[in-house]
Parts: sequence; structure tokens; C-alpha cells
Amino acid sequence: MTDTTLERALVVEPTETKRGWAGQSIPRKEDQRLVQGQGVFFDDLKRHGMGFLHFVRSPYAHAKIKSIDVSKALELGGVYGTLTGDEVAILTDPFFELSTPPGADMKDYALAVGKVRHMGEPVAAVVASSREIARDAADLVEVEYEPLPVIVDAERAAEDDAPILHEEAGSNVVWSGLFDWGDYDAALAEADQVVRIERLHFDRFSSTPLECSGALVEYEKATGQWTIFCNHQMPGVGAIWMGPALRCGLDKLRFVTHDIGGGFGNKICLHPQLTACCLLARKLNRPIQWTEWRTDQHMANSHGNERTFLDVEVPVKADGTMLGFKVRALDDCGAFPRYEPLGCIIWAQVTPGLYRWRNIRVDFTQVVTNKSAVGPNRGYSRMQHLWLTERIMDIVATQLGLDPVEVRKRNYIRSDEMPYETPNGCVYDSGDYARCLDIVLDLIGYDGIDERRRDAESRGKLLGLGIGSTLDSGTNNFGQSQLLNPDLQFSGNNEVATIKLDIFGEIVLTLGTVPQGQGHETVAAQVAADILGVSPDDIHVRPGHDSYWNSHAGFSGTYASQFAVTGLGAVKGAAEMLADQIKRLAGVILGGVGADAIELEGGFAKMKDNPEAALPFMACGAIINANNAGLPPELDDVSLNCRYVYRPPFEVPDKERKFGNLTLTYATQIHACVLEIDKETGVPVIVDYAAVDDCGIRIHPQIVEGQVHGATAHGLGAALHESFPYDEEGTLLTANFYDYHVPHALDMPPFKTSSIESPSPFTPLGAKGMGEGGGAAIHAVCSAIQDALRGAGGAVVHDSCNPAHRIWELMQEPERSRGLVSVESRS
Amino acid sequence: MPNSPRPRAFCTKLVGDFTSLVGASRADRWPREGVAWFNLAVLLNEVDYARPESVAEALELLAQHDNARALAGGQTLVNVMKQRAASPDLLVDLADLEELTPITVAADGGLELGAMATLADLIGSTEIQERRPILGEVASRIADVQVRNRGTVGGNVCSNDPTNHLPPLMVATGATMTIAGAGGTRTVAAEEFFLGVYMTAVGPGELLTKVSIPTAGGTGDGFFSVTVGNEGTGIVNVAATVNGEARVAIGCVSAVPVVVTSRPDDDSVREAVRSAGLDPPSDVHGSGAYRKHLAEVLAMRAVAHARSSG
Amino acid sequence: MREKTIKVEVNGQLYEREVEARRLLVHFIRDDLELTGTHVGCDTGNCGACTVLYNGDAIKSCMMLAIQADGASIDTVEGLAQDDQLHPLQQAFSETHALQCGYCTPGMLMSAKYLLDSNPSPSEWEVRKAIQGNICRCTGYVNIVEAIQKAAGND
Repeated sequence: MTDTTLERALVVEPTETKRGWAGQSIPRKEDQRLVQGQGVFFDDLKRHGMGFLHFVRSPYAHAKIKSIDVSKALELGGVYGTLTGDEVAILTDPFFELSTPPGADMKDYALAVGKVRHMGEPVAAVVASSREIARDAADLVEVEYEPLPVIVDAERAAEDDAPILHEEAGSNVVWSGLFDWGDYDAALAEADQVVRIERLHFDRFSSTPLECSGALVEYEKATGQWTIFCNHQMPGVGAIWMGPALRCGLDKLRFVTHDIGGGFGNKICLHPQLTACCLLARKLNRPIQWTEWRTDQHMANSHGNERTFLDVEVPVKADGTMLGFKVRALDDCGAFPRYEPLGCIIWAQVTPGLYRWRNIRVDFTQVVTNKSAVGPNRGYSRMQHLWLTERIMDIVATQLGLDPVEVRKRNYIRSDEMPYETPNGCVYDSGDYARCLDIVLDLIGYDGIDERRRDAESRGKLLGLGIGSTLDSGTNNFGQSQLLNPDLQFSGNNEVATIKLDIFGEIVLTLGTVPQGQGHETVAAQVAADILGVSPDDIHVRPGHDSYWNSHAGFSGTYASQFAVTGLGAVKGAAEMLADQIKRLAGVILGGVGADAIELEGGFAKMKDNPEAALPFMACGAIINANNAGLPPELDDVSLNCRYVYRPPFEVPDKERKFGNLTLTYATQIHACVLEIDKETGVPVIVDYAAVDDCGIRIHPQIVEGQVHGATAHGLGAALHESFPYDEEGTLLTANFYDYHVPHALDMPPFKTSSIESPSPFTPLGAKGMGEGGGAAIHAVCSAIQDALRGAGGAVVHDSCNPAHRIWELMQEPERSRGLVSVESRS
Repeated sequence: MPNSPRPRAFCTKLVGDFTSLVGASRADRWPREGVAWFNLAVLLNEVDYARPESVAEALELLAQHDNARALAGGQTLVNVMKQRAASPDLLVDLADLEELTPITVAADGGLELGAMATLADLIGSTEIQERRPILGEVASRIADVQVRNRGTVGGNVCSNDPTNHLPPLMVATGATMTIAGAGGTRTVAAEEFFLGVYMTAVGPGELLTKVSIPTAGGTGDGFFSVTVGNEGTGIVNVAATVNGEARVAIGCVSAVPVVVTSRPDDDSVREAVRSAGLDPPSDVHGSGAYRKHLAEVLAMRAVAHARSSG
Repeated sequence: MREKTIKVEVNGQLYEREVEARRLLVHFIRDDLELTGTHVGCDTGNCGACTVLYNGDAIKSCMMLAIQADGASIDTVEGLAQDDQLHPLQQAFSETHALQCGYCTPGMLMSAKYLLDSNPSPSEWEVRKAIQGNICRCTGYVNIVEAIQKAAGND
């Protein structure tokens, strides 16, 4: 184990938590309603007198707004009212920006104010009695634009003479900084070879959840209270943006979620649209219903970060040991930062990837362009960086004539080094990468690959085997934001659960999380049931999130692969509090004994040495709630209504050195892909695929497996089809599901999975968050394509998304991509 | 107006005359620049609806209304109307025109496909399986079950989206289209039927009633495509028949299927496609050069398959 | 006509409503009939979240106008369970974890029902073909295919 520089012990002492329900794949509580079409998604809600909102959106990627005339729209029968940027600028303050200048000075409002900065940006809103009328009325809003030059290229945006998107910022750079750990120059001096890669590009795409964003917003005039039925997956932060903008206290923003049709990080930056809904609910004094259209989601919701890696330099020893790397990273965050520039640091949770190199220098710049703003799409910022490290492994291995499998094994962090402190102070909690790699190679039939290659060749196909190893870092320390902006007052993390034993013995659990399919109701019940000695059926978990439950805190939500740690940590804490209170109460009632003389089993609090003496939970609930006369003072604090805030053990990172632990857990996924490329058409077909996952203790194995499947499908889509390209006028070319092809049932390859469990020593249950997956499929497919192309010119895969036409181009002009890589020998 | 892809990137690039996209009488009402046109997608303009009970009645309605459109399966038209790329004033629903649905065998042994026969009907038809199975095979690759249950032969053919499957197949197999109008019926060979993007020989006040396909006899058929994902939108598709000579119809490379004929060996086919002067557009799914290359490859494969199946 | 009073049978119950000609069937089902199990996921008829059975055929209700459905018989997900008993497909989906967020599930179930009604013993390829028009972003289809085969007794 490496020496850590941490001051507080992170290791959680193992407690005597029984593993009864936890670890089993019990039927999901959510399923009963969802399979019957009885799920409650926000668009299912109806309110008397509600108005349907349709946004008028900009047809220009960059333009001044000269005038907006809503008069004709207002004349259309059935129209209730409108909202324009002028009103927004008066009624609200710009949304809080996380960045230092120039990013700090980029103003962002609920509607475009003064100018538009990407096609599809909302410019005005119309509310009417039906969806159709709102749509018709939007056509009648007359907006006069003065087009401005468009920037759709990050490198162009960074140039001194580029048109500026946000005049008040005076620059298109949101944030930039240098990260320098270890001693890169010494590593360079020590190298036997230096491999240089001129450019790698991680394409823009997103997880496109099937349910679009939206809300039903009500405003109560008497109290100034907004109720926002929506699918915002991080209401804690949503409120922090919206409250100051609307100039109201955060308690005036009640977020309510129920069922959500997927989020994947694309429902985190909804505050502009929700703020518009809030303003209209108040202005028109009626409930406002907004449902995002699919095209809107593609054009104007959030994309994943698009990142270009330039001038990659890798010092290597002759035996294939990599000493470090240097890179210039250019991140394109679209027209508004919003959640950015967090992406400029979040990658640093996995600075070395899975590898032991210690000398890493990253020169990071983030710019705005006239494209959709980005959001923390599944894998957020770590996926892009891990793709870089995996590309480096493959490219260097190819250049030096080494086996990519052996190079990985040589450079992987070893399991006996765990917990492992990375060059920038992050602590990888546990994992056994080499073992996962061995398992995946076995699943994929690695030993027989050469023969399969020959067989494919005889059928006119190029066979390739690729490895994609990745980490899913989970449970953020938001203190990393201070490494970008020292004035920010965010650090640590939290999640809340409240559990009560009610008057008739009902156990009710509420969470601050916002599930979008991860099965929180079920898994939370499993954990609570083990502690309380009941079955999960006895625990009623309220679906979704509601600010009125007061069961949330600043970071509440479901994002960043953390539910198993933060959500379940809160559940465990709350359930233990309740268990303790029940025991104390029972101890007094049953015979003046202490809590440790009582055990909970089957819905009863029993004396350990006389199980006949037992108090049913219903009696406990009834006594405290309705029959409490005569209880002794030592039970004054027993309410049987326990709220627990889980706080992971974090310190504020060292801002000088940009050093410290940024995430609590690190799940591993190692994938292997075997594909065949048609030599004549370039069409790739995946013929075999395997994934090995290690997320520590699995509370509900079937749910974990489901996440592995889903993350793999997202990765395969991103690797072979999904991207958001723009033309020079800033038009998104893949605004619908015809052109933005996501995997359908016939696209999925034969798929094997396996797993190991390396428990986390840092979490309440030894579990790790794992939902994002880390993009392993992207890394594996790129790796496999490059392997396949060794037999057809040896092209270098340098984009993350490689549909057939791109593969064909790589085959047509291999010297072009090969030219991006050079090797300097020093000996 | 920004040169933006509506309804789909590929098609707009092939449209020389925008009026063909929306119909001449609506081109002037297309929202002017900067205003609302970009509120594309979703929800139709107000429209009138009629459901005639006979072909004659349908023809009358189409003739009377300048901006009427026939509604077949709706798998293209309803989408196009949602995007407001086309907003007819009147929809003439052909659903009750039973006489347009059957798939029958003609006196000469050829197949007669009613314009309202669905793609699912093509797949399930024993007449087709016995006489020209390629029709069912190709139909089974179009989109998905739901689309095939509603999408019709007439719709796929008359919408003439350059990426559609049936137009090149019709041209390769030498199909004949029967068009009914006020003055009676007329027939048009497939090769003359497809005129431009979304434009066919069916004029105002007319209706495609059936498509006649010669029986295979000794002819072999082949169809190969490269699509966006499995069974997705065509990037290039090629239909070929071989009966002594090879007849190849290439889709997705131009506004209408491009026909070449040659001797049925690989080299001759490749040469014929190369000499066809293809100039396909570029889009997100491939460059013009890539499409041109695919046309050659897929033509050879389609012909090879046709050779072996005849 | 711009509006019409239509009669539609849904899950065995007859409904009579006035609709604009332009109203999509999916919005009619969701907003006018308040059967919100059928979902909207896209604008172009690709995703299949809106799949219902129309006179027994699986169709995408976002590409049909309500007015076209006058006189038709429609089945939605709400009609699958009978007398408090889940349909075998619904049961299988839950057991096999073939749903996560549940948004694609109603459409997926209707496509699966359509398959099994005519092909009680489908191969894996036939199952995938049957749900090719239903997009899922959560599951990767792995468990969905397994669930359908399980319901068919083929697992």
C-alpha cells in the first residue's frame, strides 16, 4: 500500500451488519406499477386549467436579437400568454457560474437575452390551452435576428481573433489551467522511447434518455411557493441555481419527482427551462406544463463533453513500462458553461487511468462554441480521459511492437498496492485489474484469436480484438471545484434518508435521491430491512424525491455513480438510528433494560435472553405517536422518526498542488471486443463481447448487471454510431433518431459478463457506485478497430466514434492517421 | 434560410428545387427566415380529413383540392407533417379503399401489388414467396414491425425518399406503375416513374393504384445495402436482377434510382457502375466518395447473389 | 372536416370523443382518454414508446391520427393485466429485470405480445426483430430478450 498523505483515516470499521436481504436479487418494488403502465412520469400529470408551454427557438447559431413581437401569438385563440428574454432579464438574475473569469462573466438566463448562441436556444415561450395551439402560436412569434459569425470548432474558438460568444467575458475561454504532478521532465529524460500523438478527438454524444425533460410547475400566490413536478435528477444543485436567479429562498422551490424515464446526467442542467416555467406559472397564474421534444433534447438540452487531446507525449522504457504522459486538452462545452467548468477537474479523479505512471502533465483549456451546452453525461469527463489513457496504451504498444494485453498488465496498478494513491492524491480504494483482464480474455476466447483471425480473413473480413479498461469513480468530493475556483464554497458530499415507524407500525423511508430506473426503492428497502429485522416488503419507500419531505441536502440527487455509497449510507445511518431508538424504547417497556439487551426480528423487538418478551413494532409506533404518557425522560429524544445525513470522509483538496482525494470509490470495468470489419465496405460487426465488472459488494446483483448492460449499450452506440456533428452554420446534423442512431435490439452483439467483488474499505456497506460505467465499450471498440486495421495499412484510431464510413476512410488513407504518431528513440 | 436538413439531411442536399419538398402552392408560405421555421418537429398544422369509400371518390377529392394529399400508411407523411415540412390542407385517407389492397397474380403470371398492400402483406404473401420472393425479403428489412404493419407499397414508392428500399427494387425488376386519374388509368414504367426527391409521375388529382412486377421466371434477384445500424436508413442500397444480362438499380446516390446494365460478371458490373457518373451527396453517414465506392461493391454483391439465385 | 366525433374501443371499453383531425393517436390516448401508460419518446416515429395494438396489429400511435382510428379496436398496456393478474410477459419482465426506468416498457410489452400472439415459440433473432422498433436506453435489451423468451417458455 502506498503512503497516503491523508490526515484522517478513511477506512470504515466493519460493523456487524447482517447480510440477509442485501446481496439478493429480490423483485423490484417499482416493477408492479411500471409494467402496468401505471408509472407516474411528469407528462402523465394533469391539472385543471394548465397551460402547455412551447419554446420559440433560435434558427441561428449566433445572432443578435433585434426584436421580438409576440402580439400575433397573443391574438390566437387559446393562447394564455408569453415570456421573452427582456422580461427574464428584469425578473431574474443570471444563473450562478462556477468558474473564475472569463467563465464567471458568461451570463446565462432562462431565455436568450440580447443574443442567441446556439441553434435551438429558447428565445421566447408561448403558453396555450393545448399543445397544438401552443405550437401554432409559436409560429406567430416574430423574432428579428442579426446573424453573427459562427464558431463550431474549439481550436478556432480559442484563437485570439475568434468571434466572441459572450462579450462580457471578453474571451471564449471558460477556464484554463495547468496540472503537473510528479516530475514529467525527469521521466522524459529517463525514457528509452518517446511516443508522440498529435491529436485524438473524443466525439460529442449523449445518452439520450427515452423520456425527454420537462415539468409541470404550479405557483401558489399566497405563499410564493413553486411546486415543480419534474425529472431534474439533482434538485439540490438545481435549487442552488434557481433560487438566487428567481430571487427567492430555496424552500420556495419544491422539487417533486416520481418516475423518470432515464437521466444519465442529461437531466441535471434543466434550470433554465424550469426557471422559464416558474416565471410563467407566476405570471399567468396557472399550472404550466412543458415537455421537451426529442429534437429539442438533441439540439438544446445537454451533450457530453467534446474533448480534443493535442500533442500527447509518452516517455516509455524499453520493456514497455510507461513513465508518464503529457497532453494539451481542449474541451468544447458548447454555448454556456452551466455545470462547467467542473469537467476541467473531474477527469483528475482518474488521472493515471488504471496505470502506475507517476509523472503526468495536463494543460487543460475549456472553450465555448456555438453548439448545445454540455452536461454531465454518463461517464462525465472521466470517460474522455480514460479513453485517452487507453488509446495511449494501444498506440504505444502498436508503435513499439508490443502486445497491448501485456503492456496493460505491465502497467496496471496491482491489487496488492490498493488502496493506491495516485500522483494527484486520489485514493483508489480497491480493485484487481489484472484478474479482471484475465477473466475477460477467457470469456472472449483470447487463446483462439489467431485462428479466428485467419478464418475471418478467408471470408474477406479483418478481425480485431480490443481491450477497454476503465474506472467508474463515484461519490464526488465537491471540494475539487475549489481547485478550479478557490472562492467556491463547495466541498464534500452528502445524501439524506429519513425513516420512521408510524402509529400502526408502518415503516416509511424517504430519500433525497432521484432515481431514474436504478431501483432505489428496492435496494434501500433491502438495506433497511436487514437492519430492522424485517422483510423489504415491510419497508415502504416513497418513490422519487420531494423537497417537502425535508429528506435532502445540498448535493441530493442521483448522479455520479454514488447511490450505493451515499444513498445507502444515508439509509444505513437512518435505519440504525431507528433500530437503536426502537431497542431503547422496547428495553424500557419490556423490563428496564438497555438497548443492547434487545434484538429486532420479524417485526418485533425482543429481549435477547427471553424472546417471549417481545414488543411488536406497531406497539412501539403507537406508544410514541399516540400513547406516550408516563414515558421516562431518557426516552425524550426517541421520536421513531430518524433523519440521517451521510457525509463521506473528505478533506478540502490542496489548491496549490491541485492534490487530494476527489472521489471515494473506484469501480472497475474491463471489456473485450472481437469484431470483424468488411474489407470492402468498412462495416464493423461485433462478433463477441465480454465485460467484467467489480463494484465491490453487490447489494442487488441483478440491478448491478443491468447497469453493466446499459452502460455497455451506451458505449457501443457512442463507439459506432452516436455523435453530434455540426455544419459550419451551426446546424446540428443529427437532431432525430433517424440520423442519431442508437442501438436497437438487432444492433447488440452476443454479450458475456462476469464479475468479482473487491469490497471498498471506505464505504458503509463495502459497495461502490457503478452506474456510469466509464465508457469501457468505447475504449474496447476503438482498440479492436485499430487491431483489425493492422492488416490493412495500420491506421491509428484517433476519434472515439467510428462508424463504417470512418473506418473505410482509415483504410483508404492509413498514412494520414499513422502520420499523427511518431516515435523518437533515445538510448 | 439556413441550408439545414429538413426533414432529413440527406434529402435536402438532393433537392434542387425546394418547391418539390413542400409542393408549389405552399413554397411561398414556408416561414421566412428567422421566424419560427425552426420550430420544426412536432404537431401538425390544422388539416381537413376525408375518408372516401371508392377510388373514384378519392380521385375527385384529390382533383378538387389543390393542396390535398393521399394518406396511405402514414409512416412517412404523418412524420413529415409533424415537422411541418409539408402541410396539406386536406388528407384523403385511403384506408377504406379495399380494392387497392390485394396482392394477386396476373394472367401472365406476374404479380399485381395493390398500392395499399402493406409491407407486412408483402412479407406474408405466398404469391410473392412463390413468384418473386425478393419483394418479401426486402420488405422484411424495412424499419421495424410497427412500420411494416402500416407502411404500404404505394407509400414507399410514391414518397420516393432517396433512401427508400422499394424504388430501386421496382426499377431493377422492371415494375410498371398504374396511375388512376379523372381521365382513366395509365401505366408508367418504374424507370420513368421516379422523377425527383419526393416526386413521382403521380400528378395532382391522381392516385397510384397498383404496381405490377413481372414474375421471376429465370431471373435472379439480389438486394444489398449498407445501413445506419442494422436495418436502419440506407446509406447505399442496390437492387439487381440477372437474366442473361445484369440490371442494377442504385439507391441513395441520387434523387432517383440510377440504372446501369452490363454483363453479369463482377468486372463488368464494377465498370458499369464506375462509368455511371455517380455524384452522391455527402452527409453525416458518409462522403460522396464513400457512397460511390459502396455503389460499386454492393452492385457486385447484388449481381453475384442474383446470379446464383436465378 | 377539421373535427369529428370518433368512437374508439380501447382495452375493450368504448370511448366517444370529439377530436381535431390533426390530433395524433398517441396524444388522444394519453390526454383525451387519460391512459398515460403509452409514452412519447421521439418526434419521428423511431423509438416505439408509443406502440399499441390497432385492430390486433402492433403500430406506432404517434404516426397515426386519432381520426383514422374511428371505429377501431385498440389495445394498450393498461389492458394486459386481467383481474389483478399480471400478463405472463409483465411477470417475466419483472423477474428478469427487463425494465429499469420503465419508460420503453409499455411499448416493448405490446410489441412482445404481438410477437407471441402469432409466434408462440420465437427464436432469439425473431425476438430481436420483433422489438427492433422499440428503443431502450437503459437495459441494452439483454434482459428484455430473455424475458420474452421466458414468457414464451423458451428460456
